[in-house]
Amino acid sequence: MTRLLLFDPKYMEYLFHSGKVYKLGLTFEMGYDGIGIVMLALSNLVIFLVALANFNKEEANAPRFAGLIFLMQFGLNGLFAAQDAVMFYIFWEFTLIPVFLMLYWFGAKENNRTLLKFFLYTLFGSLFMLLSILAIGVYSNSYAYETIQYTAIPAKYACWIFSGFLIAFAVKVPLFPFHTWQPNTYSTAPMAGTMLLSAIMLKMALFGMIKWMIPLSFSALPTWQWPVIILSVIGILYGAFIAMREYNIRKVFAFASISHLGLIVAGIMVFTVDSLQGSIIQMVNHSLIAIGLFFAAGIIEQRLGTSNLNEMGGIAKIAPRFGFWFGVIMFVSLSVPMTAGFIGEFLLIKSVFEFNSWMGILSALTLVIGAVYMIRAYQMSSMGAPKITAFKDLMWNEISVFAIIAILALSLGLYPDFIFSIVKPSIKHMLEAVADTQLIIK
Amino acid sequence: MDALLVIFITGLISLFIGIMKKPGLALSVNLIGLSSAFILIWNHANYVSMLKSYAGTLVFNGPQLYLSLLAVLLTGLILIGGYAIQSKDKEHYADITSLMMFSLTGAICLIGFKDFFMFFIGLEILSIPVYVLVGSRKAEHLASEAALKYFFTGSFATAILLFGIALVFGATGSFNMNEIGFAVMSGLYTPALMIAGVLLIIAALLFKVGAVPFHFWNADVYEGSSKSVMAFMSTVVKIAGFIAIYKIVKTTFGSLSDQWMYFMYVVIIASMFIGYLSGLKQTSLKRLMAFSGISNTGIGLLAIMNGTETGERSLVIFLIGYGASSLIMLFVSQLINEENDDISSLNGIGYKNPFLGVSLLIALLSLSGIPPFTGFFGKFLLIKDIIKVHPVLSIAAILSSVIGAYIYLKLILSIFNKDSNAVKIRLDWKSVVVICMALLLLLAGWMLIL
Repeated sequence: MTRLLLFDPKYMEYLFHSGKVYKLGLTFEMGYDGIGIVMLALSNLVIFLVALANFNKEEANAPRFAGLIFLMQFGLNGLFAAQDAVMFYIFWEFTLIPVFLMLYWFGAKENNRTLLKFFLYTLFGSLFMLLSILAIGVYSNSYAYETIQYTAIPAKYACWIFSGFLIAFAVKVPLFPFHTWQPNTYSTAPMAGTMLLSAIMLKMALFGMIKWMIPLSFSALPTWQWPVIILSVIGILYGAFIAMREYNIRKVFAFASISHLGLIVAGIMVFTVDSLQGSIIQMVNHSLIAIGLFFAAGIIEQRLGTSNLNEMGGIAKIAPRFGFWFGVIMFVSLSVPMTAGFIGEFLLIKSVFEFNSWMGILSALTLVIGAVYMIRAYQMSSMGAPKITAFKDLMWNEISVFAIIAILALSLGLYPDFIFSIVKPSIKHMLEAVADTQLIIK
Repeated sequence: MDALLVIFITGLISLFIGIMKKPGLALSVNLIGLSSAFILIWNHANYVSMLKSYAGTLVFNGPQLYLSLLAVLLTGLILIGGYAIQSKDKEHYADITSLMMFSLTGAICLIGFKDFFMFFIGLEILSIPVYVLVGSRKAEHLASEAALKYFFTGSFATAILLFGIALVFGATGSFNMNEIGFAVMSGLYTPALMIAGVLLIIAALLFKVGAVPFHFWNADVYEGSSKSVMAFMSTVVKIAGFIAIYKIVKTTFGSLSDQWMYFMYVVIIASMFIGYLSGLKQTSLKRLMAFSGISNTGIGLLAIMNGTETGERSLVIFLIGYGASSLIMLFVSQLINEENDDISSLNGIGYKNPFLGVSLLIALLSLSGIPPFTGFFGKFLLIKDIIKVHPVLSIAAILSSVIGAYIYLKLILSIFNKDSNAVKIRLDWKSVVVICMALLLLLAGWMLIL
């Protein structure tokens, strides 16, 4: 507790700090800086919300389910606190196992093909990350973050290292041409699996980009900046347009998530203080709305037995509490002013616009089209004449999940400095470290 | 080395115990012999830094002693694990154990040799009992076929090896590894004889570990042999073969790497891909494991391609990971059913028997190279050593492990199938072996780091 109070986000706070290099050049150090503690808090909050959301489902009674969720929490905490590249990789792969088993045991029947595609796709990506980590190890003879952060890697090799990381993260986020695993996996996964995947596993990749990929191979950033930003802008528009024409409610939200995340990736690639702040607050916000939206979709599916938007309608009339909270979550995800999304998207679009005005204009379209598909989904499911006869209204635990999300989103929207004050010093520190390393190369 | 004698004499005693037709007695005598050998080696490992015996033809220093410990331990576990099934044949149980003892003697010779004489003797002592073991299920047609095939191809390989050794002797005038290594380094050899000899020796050794293009015997022989013998072949025999190939190719002929480098390049890439690609559509567990063994051989051979001195350690960790996973898979499938080795017999096992399921999960994830299991650390170290010198090989290794992961994941999916009519399985002594191996897979990697 005192550690938390005395926390100075500029520096690394170590949870374990042995300072000892073990055999094979590995170290065992865990710690967090400002970015790390935000992600740690977020991941534990997400796990709590997922557990709360599943409280009255039959899965919650299965010991396997609780075990998998806690394994997941273990992996996530390790990942966000890892200060050693190999440890980061180990936790990165480790988180795949509980999610895979959860999807297999509690997901839709006959989803073997989807699961294999999901697992192999991500494994394929992360093995290239392993190659990059090994290459970094060869250059700096160490895997500890505090050492490799200051290792100057020549631009030619940095390009290869960057691309290895990029494959892993692009598959996980997913960036535009690597997204094919996502919609099917989201629509066949159990509700908890979808929530975990979209709310926190994607953030692992974004966190990896901010903390590992770009600072460690910064000299490759000028080469890769344009291609990745173009891909993410394509992703923004592509995801939004597909979401407008999609009738499966979970797939609507899955494509919406591709669109939202494209903006965050573009912001990260700009790599300035503003854009990084924006992307971090948007990551937090996206986790909240992903939980909310997929929870709402899960509730609808569970009670109606269908996920087709055409067969729904008028839920708000039969179940007013659900209609109200679904509407609140929808407005949060539209990023209306005074919610966290507004701050995040504003900062992100502003920094992309400063980078290149055309890219900025294109990515700002996400606000307009986002309104279209979100309101369409809400209208088709909850408004209009009731096509359904019975809909059990929300239980206390479901209301509390929605309420926690809404309160957090509102308070972050009114007082974003809560996150900025934690994050900004460490971003500045990171950028200074990167600039120092670049001086060594020159 | 006295442990060698102890093991050999245990084998002899076990042969005579066979007359009494008491499997329990044979097993306990063998286990006593193995544990005394274990203690003897352990003493050497702790108190003697280097051990020379038989006029310097066998030299054991640190890593060799630990490898011998590992071989003895694995043999003991295989004996315990296979007892329930093998002891049904009361007449021949003691023969099987004594053959395993003799083979273990050869394996320890192969781990410690410093001389081509001892190498050849060790290889033969290792191989000939295994030919017999493969054919030990006399009623089976497949077993006889496998034994005959293995024997013929194996003797051709031996002949080629002898020819190679003769050529190397002609080129350098010595059998001693140190002297040959010195001659190679200083260029005091006849080039034509030397290169031909080296390539012949490498070919014969690649046959022993089952690398492409010398891999055709693998699937048939594994299919014909019983699961315990297969466990022995994929752990002890493989470890000995790999150590021999490492010592000969890397340590002795390392300076000649220009001559064999490209040959090995092709062999490694072909092994990694052909193994897994042939395994994609297999329905028999033994054949599947044979093909995955071929691919793992390709990855293990990366150890001789690197430019560093740490290759032996990485190789050992990799082999521990591979051997332990194979043991788990074989013994669990033996628990389920000895005769039927169709993959569908594993269907739903993990869901009904959580203990077996978790062990299989650990084994398969370790084989596909997912951290934090030992298989990951093995692959990680091997690739780390070569990434600077041969980036192409490291990318090929990673691509092939994605194919492998596909195979293993399909197995995991069928093992944890919810809707199947799998039954609850009664556990026996094999579960001790399974627990030991699962713990090894979980911990060995971390023990090496910390």
